Amino acid sequence: MAEESFLTDDFLRQLIDVGEVDILVGLPTHNNAKTVGSVVHAIQSGILSGFPRDRAVIINADGGSRDGTPDLVTGVSIDDMRPASKLYALRTLHSITTKYGSSPASGVAFRTILAAAELLRARACVVLSPESTNIEPAWLSKLLRPVYRDGFDLVTPMYRRHKFEGLLITNLLYPMTRALYGKRIYEAYAPEFGFSGRLGTQFLGQDVWTNGTDGAGVELRFTLAAITGKFGICQSFLGEKIHVERSSADLVPALRQTVGTLFASLERDFPVWSAVTGCEPVPTDGDDQEVLLEPLRVNRKRLREMFASGVAELESVFQSILSPPTLAELQRISRLGEDECRYSAELWVRTIYEFAASYQKSVISRDHIIQALAPLFRGRAFTFLTEHRNASAGQVERSIEDLCLEFERLKPYLLEIWKPRE
Amino acid sequence: MPLNPDVLWYKDAIIYQVHVRTFYDSNGDGIGDFQGLAAKLDYLQELGINTIWLMPFFPSPLRDDGYDIADYQSVHPSYGTLEDFRKFLESAHDRGIRIIIELVANHTSDQHPWFQESRSSQDNPRRDWYVWSDTDTRYKDTRIIFLDTEKSNWAWDPVSKSFYWHRFFSHQPDLNYDNPAVREQMWQVMKFWLDMGVDGFRLDAVPYLVEREGTNCENLPETHAVLKELRRQLDDHSPGRMLLAEANQWPADLRPYFGDGDEFHMAFHFPLMPRMFMGLKLEDRKPITEILQQTPEIPPICQWSLFLRNHDELTLEMVTDVERDYMYDSYAVSKMMRLNLGIRRRLAPLLDNDRRRIELMNGMLMSLPGTPIIYYGDEIGMGDNINLGDRNGVRTPMQWNGETNAGFSNAASEHLYAPLIQDPVYGYPAVNVLRQKASEHSLFNWMQRILAVRRSTVAFGRGAIEFLYPANHRILAYVRRLGNETILVVNNLSSSAQAVELNLRGYKGNIPIEMFGRNMFPRVGDGPYLLTMGPYQFYWFRLRRL
Amino acid sequence: MRDLIISELTQALHDIARRFAHFLPRLIVMLILAMLGWVIAYVVKAVLRSILRLIKFDKLSEKAGASQLLAKAALPSATELLSRFVFWVAWLGFILLGISVLGILGMQDEIARFFLFLPRLFVALFILFVGLLAASFFSRAALLAAVNANMPSPKVLSLAVRSIIIVFVLSVVFEELGLAEQTMLVAFGIAFGALMLGLAIAFGIGGRDLARGFLEKQVVRSKKQENEDELSPL
Repeated sequence: MAEESFLTDDFLRQLIDVGEVDILVGLPTHNNAKTVGSVVHAIQSGILSGFPRDRAVIINADGGSRDGTPDLVTGVSIDDMRPASKLYALRTLHSITTKYGSSPASGVAFRTILAAAELLRARACVVLSPESTNIEPAWLSKLLRPVYRDGFDLVTPMYRRHKFEGLLITNLLYPMTRALYGKRIYEAYAPEFGFSGRLGTQFLGQDVWTNGTDGAGVELRFTLAAITGKFGICQSFLGEKIHVERSSADLVPALRQTVGTLFASLERDFPVWSAVTGCEPVPTDGDDQEVLLEPLRVNRKRLREMFASGVAELESVFQSILSPPTLAELQRISRLGEDECRYSAELWVRTIYEFAASYQKSVISRDHIIQALAPLFRGRAFTFLTEHRNASAGQVERSIEDLCLEFERLKPYLLEIWKPRE
Repeated sequence: MPLNPDVLWYKDAIIYQVHVRTFYDSNGDGIGDFQGLAAKLDYLQELGINTIWLMPFFPSPLRDDGYDIADYQSVHPSYGTLEDFRKFLESAHDRGIRIIIELVANHTSDQHPWFQESRSSQDNPRRDWYVWSDTDTRYKDTRIIFLDTEKSNWAWDPVSKSFYWHRFFSHQPDLNYDNPAVREQMWQVMKFWLDMGVDGFRLDAVPYLVEREGTNCENLPETHAVLKELRRQLDDHSPGRMLLAEANQWPADLRPYFGDGDEFHMAFHFPLMPRMFMGLKLEDRKPITEILQQTPEIPPICQWSLFLRNHDELTLEMVTDVERDYMYDSYAVSKMMRLNLGIRRRLAPLLDNDRRRIELMNGMLMSLPGTPIIYYGDEIGMGDNINLGDRNGVRTPMQWNGETNAGFSNAASEHLYAPLIQDPVYGYPAVNVLRQKASEHSLFNWMQRILAVRRSTVAFGRGAIEFLYPANHRILAYVRRLGNETILVVNNLSSSAQAVELNLRGYKGNIPIEMFGRNMFPRVGDGPYLLTMGPYQFYWFRLRRL
Repeated sequence: MRDLIISELTQALHDIARRFAHFLPRLIVMLILAMLGWVIAYVVKAVLRSILRLIKFDKLSEKAGASQLLAKAALPSATELLSRFVFWVAWLGFILLGISVLGILGMQDEIARFFLFLPRLFVALFILFVGLLAASFFSRAALLAAVNANMPSPKVLSLAVRSIIIVFVLSVVFEELGLAEQTMLVAFGIAFGALMLGLAIAFGIGGRDLARGFLEKQVVRSKKQENEDELSPL
């Protein structure tokens, strides 16, 4: 049941006052006062212009903000005491907030949003990021209309990215999800997406919430659940991906959320992905995202150095994870100079698959396996950056497509080294 | 029963709007008349109303249902004689029922002798009684009201070879109020009826009296001056009589028609009415509270007039485009139901004949601040016939019983002024006064009861209103207050059961007594007051401190 | 004379026989106990082996790094080793119990002390095992963290962490066993204290420039990496 004690009494009372809705907008926040103002105004405009006759609510799941973020969000509610500023509003628009904890946990925030969606019997829901300052009112239509009108259950976004942004997605998450689960979903782990009440309720009932961690990466689990549950999935092009300030220290947490979740899901979903062959495209709406090509200052040298030193220092760890030929090959290329060092697609796929198999067998602590992947990813990033330094958008796309095919080609290898639990 | 002697009687009025032609035919010609209407005064007294508003009954070619007047001081022969009218008036007064008649001041029929004279030549003394022009380009910024039939506000007169101004149908030329003779004549007309004993006038189409170049020719200061003069003359001649304005305008533009208590006594609150229907469909009180928040304060002796439906289309002029589209899609899916930016349906068909919704709407009508008007036939839930062209679908004969011609007339059916409603749901065998009087749970009996409760207190008509804004937006709740009397009204606009917590902290210690059954409810304490309401249910509570 | 010898002999034989007769039942009891003990020890060994297999003890010991050590010493797997060890201890226990029945003085105390010692032995072994596991886990964690944070000489750091933990564990084990407890504790204290003191001196007095350079490099390096590495992985 969704009505568990992680929902406060006060929140439930607010939900009673909102009543049944057609559209639910979920907004997880934590100290986003700088950016959330424009986001919620865009949400309000999006609802009033795209869905003027429908009952809508904005649910803010806040992780203990101390900068007044929740007040900014509830400030866009429209009722007889607070009229809309520019656009005419036919109906009341509720915007309510609840504090789910004193520190941010994206898994708990998402669960709160799903629970609200079920209690309010929302037909179509969308989760948005408080950091997307370039959000437009039209994004709401783009993420909701496929659910609302066309009967899809999950709408993942597509962005206009720089060719070197999001390498974890383009070189690992996208090709592997595509090869194993058989669906070409570009952004399986995105900060904004739309989904149906049906899918939300089904996911809420699964036992993904009990693994003790704060549930980071559960959005990826959500996408995978939609695939394995044979729900209708489509993609919608939104716009440019907003660049959030990140340092290289964020790589390990990012790996945990994406790769960690993916590897953990492989075990659960084995019956599904082991039977999938080939991959099918997913209906896509909107412009083809172009790839931005402007030059970006990147420290490739450091990437290669960290790769080389990682391979050297972590030899004992890799011995437990990788097969001897793969490890030998890695050691060989890590000793090469900047011009010769090349982390080929095939080697990369083998590496990942062996990591996945080792993760499943828990040869060492699983979290350590994920951490050990970081220097190898840097090596792959180095190769990718070097090879596509002057590449065009088309070349980059082809390259990624080739990588995807490599993942698919070596899928039998993964099945071979995989050992299902007795 | 004597008439209410209070000079502010209109604040306690419950008005019944009826056209004499539709009510009861006493002489078998298929058309209702005043003798017939007089015969049915008992019925109206039983229902519980105390004022009748008569639609136009002056002589007229009837090309606009009587709003095209050919003689201001007589009665159309189909409806009887002046003497019949006088007798009817006396009978009404004997029963304590007041009479309001229509005064179509803005225009006349083109068959009126005045117009015949005015058009005959440029030198005629009455030439200036109407608005003539050699071109049709003057007053360009003026909107067209009957969009479905008229293309311009100017019409070409072949007789005098010039254009004349008409805000309505082309056969209804506008009178020229810049001419003092016109103004004097209008006063004389009014005086004629006042002397006969009429209690009030509904002035039709008042915003359009005066035209000026460069304006939209509505609500001009000159128009207000004319009206104030009429009022002054009325007060001097017969104090205690009432003027009711028909001005389909936004609340802010309506306000000037009250002046400082020196213009109209009452005006229709046009913008509220579509929003009540909208709030019901949206299941959200926002449209209703918004328009009432925007409604300005009016002078203490003035009064709003509220209504759900009337003889015209449910007008959607005073709503935004978004709202109008929503109303069309919700209430008038078939294009045939739409007319001139409005919806031409009766109350019961608009509400899908849903008894609960009909009761709820009437409940709001009776409890919001203003004088309520009931359109004839809506008290028994009559239906409409949209195939009858223009707005005649809502003006069919009153259904008295299930026998021939619904008991309206002895004439042959084909002689009736309009065909009866015959469909299985709303037809006269199913919906008629006789049957409903015999049934305890009929709409008629319910209307009787609610009117009785309404009349039991003057707080509804005269009291102040304070809105409560519970967090559940499907509940419309407000408090009516006059002196020591406090009434709490709670309406559930939703089709599903709702729970609502009201902030009644200011009324702590009061015992709510439900006004229909007169049962007690738990006393108001410190915390929020919880009420659970069924679909479309409403409560009226008298708050008593004992 | 001959009669005397014969009668003495007979007496002695009688004595021996009598004593033997006294002793025999006890001997028999002891043998029975020993046999019983063997059977019980065998059963315990089998049960323990199944339990250990069930909880995948081998895997755990692999993680602890114990398996590698055992393999190097040409010993059987951890499960096998432990089962056999328990078998021998159990059987030995029963034998000793039998011997105590024999009533040989002096042995009683030793036997009693042996039995008292057993639990502590097991505890010490357990602590050792857990400690090895922890050392392995934390040293690897430190290694990974150091590599990913691009710190210099991660292997050294990893080894340092492992050493400290092992030394600590050993000292606790020895204390538990009651062997040179003081010595071990003091040794540990000295080593740890020396390390800390050395670091303090390095940063405080002597290697001030070196320390400053080290710090600068750390800070500057992290700034540099923030400016130049603008890629976000997601």
